[in-house]
Amino acid sequence: MASPLEDDVFEKLRQKTDPAEQRKQYDELDARLFAQQQKSQERVVELIDDNSTLPVTISSVRILNANRTRRGFLERVVNPILSANRSDQYTLQEALKEVGNATEKLNRFGIFKSPISVYFDRPDQTIPTSSPTDVDVYISAYERGNYTIKTGTEAGASEADAYINAELRNLFGGAETLNAHGSLGTRTRSAYSLALDSPILSNPDLKFQVNGFASSTLKSWASHEEVLRGGTSKLLYRTKNGHQHEFGYSGIWRQVTGLAEKASPTIRADAGDSFKSSLSHTWINDKRDNPMLPNRGYLLKSVGELAGFGMLQGDVAFGKYEAESQIALPFGDTGITLTAGLRGGLLYPLALGADKTPQNSRINDRFQLGGPTSVRGFRLSGLGPHDGSDAVGGDVYAAGGANLLFPIPKAGKETPLRFQAFVNGGRLVSLKGRDRGGGQTDTAANMKRTIASLKDDLPSCAAGLGLVYAHPIARFEINFSLPLVMRAREEGRKGLSFGVGIEFL
Amino acid sequence: MPPETPNRDENRQNDPPAPPARSIFAIPAPIKQLFDRFPLLAYPANDLPLRAPRTNNAHVLYIFTTPKAAVAGAPSYNPACLKWQAYLNFSLIDFRVEASNNHASPSGALPFLLPAASDSTKLRPPVPSGKLQRWAMNNSTAAVEESSDIRYEAYLSLLDHPIRRAWLYSIYISPNSTSIAEPLYILPTSRNPFVRLTIARELRRAAEKELLKLSAVINAEELYKQAEEALAALEVVLGAHQWFFNASRPGLFDASVFGYTHLLLDGDLGNGWVDTRLRDAVLQRKNLVAHRNRILNAYFQKLKTG
Repeated sequence: MASPLEDDVFEKLRQKTDPAEQRKQYDELDARLFAQQQKSQERVVELIDDNSTLPVTISSVRILNANRTRRGFLERVVNPILSANRSDQYTLQEALKEVGNATEKLNRFGIFKSPISVYFDRPDQTIPTSSPTDVDVYISAYERGNYTIKTGTEAGASEADAYINAELRNLFGGAETLNAHGSLGTRTRSAYSLALDSPILSNPDLKFQVNGFASSTLKSWASHEEVLRGGTSKLLYRTKNGHQHEFGYSGIWRQVTGLAEKASPTIRADAGDSFKSSLSHTWINDKRDNPMLPNRGYLLKSVGELAGFGMLQGDVAFGKYEAESQIALPFGDTGITLTAGLRGGLLYPLALGADKTPQNSRINDRFQLGGPTSVRGFRLSGLGPHDGSDAVGGDVYAAGGANLLFPIPKAGKETPLRFQAFVNGGRLVSLKGRDRGGGQTDTAANMKRTIASLKDDLPSCAAGLGLVYAHPIARFEINFSLPLVMRAREEGRKGLSFGVGIEFL
Repeated sequence: MPPETPNRDENRQNDPPAPPARSIFAIPAPIKQLFDRFPLLAYPANDLPLRAPRTNNAHVLYIFTTPKAAVAGAPSYNPACLKWQAYLNFSLIDFRVEASNNHASPSGALPFLLPAASDSTKLRPPVPSGKLQRWAMNNSTAAVEESSDIRYEAYLSLLDHPIRRAWLYSIYISPNSTSIAEPLYILPTSRNPFVRLTIARELRRAAEKELLKLSAVINAEELYKQAEEALAALEVVLGAHQWFFNASRPGLFDASVFGYTHLLLDGDLGNGWVDTRLRDAVLQRKNLVAHRNRILNAYFQKLKTG
């Protein structure tokens, strides 16, 4: 016999559940769980807050699951936070912060899966060596796979290639990375490289890199193919406030070969082998909020290179300095941004070894200017001295540009899509000294004259409108532009042009 | 010509439908006019870099030589280059020589010639060595008539094969490689020892490969013996004449012989001869020695005085 109550249950079951009702129930459940979690989190925070000044000693740190990583390597990260190695006392808050820093460091080596989780435990108080303030720290760091192999093909407006990339991680258990890369393409005919990258003294901000490479690149704007074989070694250092420094030595055998039928005498004179042995320093201070589509902030970059001077030897001798800056200014919260960039560089010829006369620059070392990622509205290497149809490059350059970026009305400012209006221009000139006949010895005076000549006339420049799309790995632009000022033989580009790149003027 | 003209006319009549199809890609007239206005301002061209050769509207022959010797127009140290340098001298063509290397050449090997441009903005295409004879004939006021002697080809093959092979062996493989090939072909390429070593190895391997095309092993004795026989044959055919095949003026054949004999008789080539076998073979041939001296004095003399 069924009781009315049971009837009621069946009745209820028979009824269709109201979706709105159901959602309400779920929402309530969610809210309850969320509140619970929040409360427990608050309790932890409260607990820590209450105990923030509690004296604590970190007696041991145990890193779990990092089986392929060297003990010595991890000790360097962990040892400094052990109380036994510190003169001052921890409060709980300080201890948490230090442990947090250590895990942050581990994270930055790029060999562990994130997140890295941390546990605290109190050691057994019955152990005679333990003190009441002791805390044991457990860091669970799972290693990422020890290799990745990537292959792919890429096709762009003027280039198509296929590549294979293999990366061996944590090679000797000290976050060393070995990267092998090979690619074949239409413009970069072939490129192979092998690079070993290792942090020094378990410091993710101090790295050493050695790299060996061979490549062959078609430089159609100067009717030749450049074959490179060489090696570089670099010391990379990142300061606390985000400045990056790179000190490097490179030795590269360059070959200008495979000249086109129409190659100019200037290129023919530079055909053949040369060995560059150089020291370089790069400094980057990037404070932009988004490097591909900055809305606020600035970038400063400088690259200095000294080749063939004194002990360096090789076949070419010069001092080269390049500087770059960019600033982005937002117009309130409208998504409208003004970005402005300025670049410049000079190549100062030096005497090689025991020679008295400075070496005149070669096509391999001279600057090129113009193109969709450089001065827009000009062909690739369209600015500067041209011999016939060859862009032969220059020894001194200055370029600048300003872009005004507007969000697209329907898409809004959150999408990485912008309209842009731009004006940009520059000058690329060769070192003066020819008109003085044989006496080219006074390089300093020639350099001064050359730099002064940059502002003799209006710079070659172009203006235009376009569309920008900033993908996280590269920025794409399509622009309509017209050249305003040009020099004879410089190659402007009227109409549409397409640009892909990481750094734009 | 006559049978083609009606066709063309027909095409022209059929043309009218074509322009609208093309106009999709063609720029409309008003926009083109607007485009043509840009750039608004044009300045004269930028100066070329200091390393760029000064263009003085002369024909330039790119050869293996030292920059110093290039200024003087001295004989090249490479037989193929010297052959054409001598030939252009015979043709009384006014040209300049430029020290260069194989990378600069459109064919991958020196020599080649860059004709003088009538207008500095327009470049003439380079003339590779294979087309130099015809070019010289077209551009010379005193073109050299080549001998029509039936023995010409046969004797030319003596130069192109036995003598050339013995030369390759002597310069690149025998002990002369360190005293001649190294200072002439390897040291000027780069100051870096690794680069020099690689180029030296490549050069030697190329010479060996060339020699192994005709025999399975490189037999020095055999190579030299064949070259000696070839030189003896040339000595006989030259005889007491001034020029080969009793011509009134030296021609391409004389230039080809001179290319080898001059260098073999030059005791100071590179750092001097170590393996002198091929050189001695030429020294014994009095007619060939006299032939070489005659050319040197008549066509390379200006550099001694100037």
